[in-house]
Amino acid sequence: MMPPIVKDLLKIKKLDVSVVIFSGIMLTGVFGSTVYPVDPVAMVGPPEQPPSNLFPLGTDSWGRDLLALLLSGIKSSLYIGLTAALIAAAIGIVIGVISGFKGGLTDSSLMLLTDIVLVLPSILLMILIAAYLRERNPLLVALMIGVTSWPWVARAVRSQMLSLRTREFVYMSRMAGLSDTRIIFLDLVPNMASYTFMAFVLLMSGAMIAEAGLSMIGLGVTRGTSLGMILYWAQLLESVRRGLWWWFIPPGVCLVALAASLLLLSTALDEYFSPRLKGG
Amino acid sequence: MAILEAEHIKAYYSTRRGYVKAVDGVDLVQEKDVITGLAGESGCGKTTMVNTLMMNVRPPLHLVDGTIVLDGNVISEMDRSTLKKKVWGVLVSLVPQSALNALMPTKRIIDYITDAVSYHMAVSNSEVASMARRRFEELNLPVEALSMYPHELSGGMKQRAVIAISTLLNPRLLIVDEPTSALDVSTQKQVLKMLVDLRKAEIIKSMMFVTHDIAILRQIANQITIMYAGKVVESGSATDILYDPRHPYSHGLMNAVVTPEPEVRKRGLISIPGEPPDLIDPPKGCRFHPRCSRATEICRSMEPPLVREGNRFLACHNPLPA
Amino acid sequence: MNPLVRFLARRIGFLAITFIVFLIIIFALPRAIPGNPLATILARIFQQSQSSPELVKAVEKKLMEEFGLGKPLHVQFLEFVSRLVVGDLGTSIAFYPRKVAEIVFVYLPWSLGLLIPATLVSWVVGNLLGALAAYRRKTAADNVLLPVFLTLSQTPYYWLAMLLLYGLAVTLRIFPIGGAYTPAIAPALTMHFIIDVLYHYILPFLSIVLGAMGNWAIGMRAMVIYELGADYVSYSDSLGLPDSKILRYVFRNSMLPQITGLAINLGTMLGGSLITELVFSYPGTGYLIFRALTTLDYPLIQGAFILLISTLLVANFIVDLVYAYLDPRIRTSYVGE
Repeated sequence: MMPPIVKDLLKIKKLDVSVVIFSGIMLTGVFGSTVYPVDPVAMVGPPEQPPSNLFPLGTDSWGRDLLALLLSGIKSSLYIGLTAALIAAAIGIVIGVISGFKGGLTDSSLMLLTDIVLVLPSILLMILIAAYLRERNPLLVALMIGVTSWPWVARAVRSQMLSLRTREFVYMSRMAGLSDTRIIFLDLVPNMASYTFMAFVLLMSGAMIAEAGLSMIGLGVTRGTSLGMILYWAQLLESVRRGLWWWFIPPGVCLVALAASLLLLSTALDEYFSPRLKGG
Repeated sequence: MAILEAEHIKAYYSTRRGYVKAVDGVDLVQEKDVITGLAGESGCGKTTMVNTLMMNVRPPLHLVDGTIVLDGNVISEMDRSTLKKKVWGVLVSLVPQSALNALMPTKRIIDYITDAVSYHMAVSNSEVASMARRRFEELNLPVEALSMYPHELSGGMKQRAVIAISTLLNPRLLIVDEPTSALDVSTQKQVLKMLVDLRKAEIIKSMMFVTHDIAILRQIANQITIMYAGKVVESGSATDILYDPRHPYSHGLMNAVVTPEPEVRKRGLISIPGEPPDLIDPPKGCRFHPRCSRATEICRSMEPPLVREGNRFLACHNPLPA
Repeated sequence: MNPLVRFLARRIGFLAITFIVFLIIIFALPRAIPGNPLATILARIFQQSQSSPELVKAVEKKLMEEFGLGKPLHVQFLEFVSRLVVGDLGTSIAFYPRKVAEIVFVYLPWSLGLLIPATLVSWVVGNLLGALAAYRRKTAADNVLLPVFLTLSQTPYYWLAMLLLYGLAVTLRIFPIGGAYTPAIAPALTMHFIIDVLYHYILPFLSIVLGAMGNWAIGMRAMVIYELGADYVSYSDSLGLPDSKILRYVFRNSMLPQITGLAINLGTMLGGSLITELVFSYPGTGYLIFRALTTLDYPLIQGAFILLISTLLVANFIVDLVYAYLDPRIRTSYVGE
């Protein structure tokens, strides 16, 4: 009924916990606005109210419902995180595969590019780019994050390629006369599937944190909200110093929970897919 | 006089699926001044056996039963710190299977040796250095290797260096696990020559080595012990076992190797059908019976005891004729 | 050539290339973005016109000169680089006529003062705790520490900063609520001032240390677990070497990849600490950049970035030096990748 791999994975406690936490928050974000149909940007109440029956997470300085903002923010952060992860994964995998497979000058030049992007801090690169952009929609933000966070994936994929390409089944394909592209797609890529998934999970986790960082410095999405933007306004309006804990604590908790559960998930997957040779 | 006496040794690995009975009721005696070859297929319990013999037993491996007496000391009752201080390296040394990575990669060989030796003996660094130099010279190893890092040495060099280091404290018994696997033929020769030199120079008098390579047994063993599925099936002098094996398994092993010797060639190559059994739930009776062409009713139901037959020990209900 | 020298030369070459690439990016960005950024700045200045028309004219003239708009691209770039070489990072717009370099150098020390000790402390403490967790694997210590580290590693420094600020400064009033020192006290090398600075330093410092520690701990824990299964560990054990000695071997070898990890993470830590400054209104480069962004003071942003990246690349090189010193495999036979 269920494929054996799913059954095995479900037995891992770490995996169960992380999936539960992550999906919990994700579903809250996705369906939250249906269950709690308050307009996040409308001023619906008196400003700076602590949590109450009317406003479960209180209101901000403009009288907006913070729970509604949080739900909307979760959705937005997830969207940006997912998109950025896809972009970064695509770039990283393509570069890693070409670099590892082709070798030689292609490899050296691609790896030089990778190392340069790796050394330059992504947040600074993003600030530089974003500073010159007047309008920043979620897709653009995701693009910026994606374009600056792929290097480690490229390096890891390249090492996988390097080790895989000398295995017997690849020699056999070559002898059978298969073209390079076919070898890549038929032999090599499927063997990296498990790693790719893990890398994607990690990328998404990092992307959400990156988006929050970018928002904090004022360069997040110009319209709409995200977990990072809520924190940005919370910081700008001095919510910490004025004791408005309901403003900055919940978005941070959500962000950390989302990112940490994804990290836990990737660790669980790592342990499952690459059993240790000794100990364990 | 025996240097090592092991009785009723049972060493099991505890796993989620049950106990893997890697060594399941073995009696073994290593005489002084003898080189014993411990042979058998991969997975028959040889490595577990030798680790257990020196009480190098860590969870998930447990010594479930048995007594081991090494040079008069009942080591099966010692705790780890006593073993480390008094036994390991000093009375018995084990050269591991993958000696290639056995040396601490970020230390020079001589510095590593100093660490090892100075823990057991109160000597100065220069004394250790001269000890090491002398030993290396005795064994035809380049003295320059001492001041190098492991990654600067070739695989064969590393293997020989590890053997040399294991002998520095002049242990009474040297155990070598698979001295020649993962080495090319010419390096194998060098390693074997070194083991022989150790005997000749009387640095190591009693030696036990583990192998699945029959050719090595032929070259340096005085005594051979054959193991199968966690038990000893036959044991005797090298000549007896090599040229007149009586246990069907030993016979199969000896004849599975291509050799130029005419008497052996006449018998033809035999391969033993089937696979080694699952050690969590081994077969009833004689463990070899599923693969044995001479198996009878009693073989399937009763485990054959290890009995003395002339100059050898044999555990078989229906052995080959002499 | 000595392998060590070869290694270092390669690294310097790489870092130099990276710096040049970065300069090109910084040079190209304002010129590549559609919608004339210069015009935007000027419009801004007109809007916030407490400035006289003469001032605006002067700023415009200075900007045109420094950005060199109108001249051919390669000339612009050459002028840009030649100014850089003599340390001229341009003139600030918001703080006209002060030079960018001069302004940044006021704020930079506060950032470095925060970042460098915090990096070192978080690295050392994180690695020690990670090693401890690995050694005590499958015991209560590890089972508690691991989830803690996991969560910490994903907690942004600035959010930790908010928590610490709220908890310890606003609610419990143990620590000050921001700034690098009490404004009433004039900066001087007196004990009084130094203690005041330290007092203001603790919360920002802690935010970064706690935030960064988790990452190191997790990495070290994995490394040590892996090393503990290595052949040299079991061989040394069977030779009778004491556990304490073997553990020291393991730590020594596990540390090496952690040093490489330090080089890789320096950039992220820099970014994180800059944002953390905002929460504390700590007068470092992060705070400066933030303000420069709101006033669109592009020369200032650009100059700050150039200085930050230069510092980062130098730091990278220092880490490379340390690594080369500690790993004998580099010293004796570096072949390159």
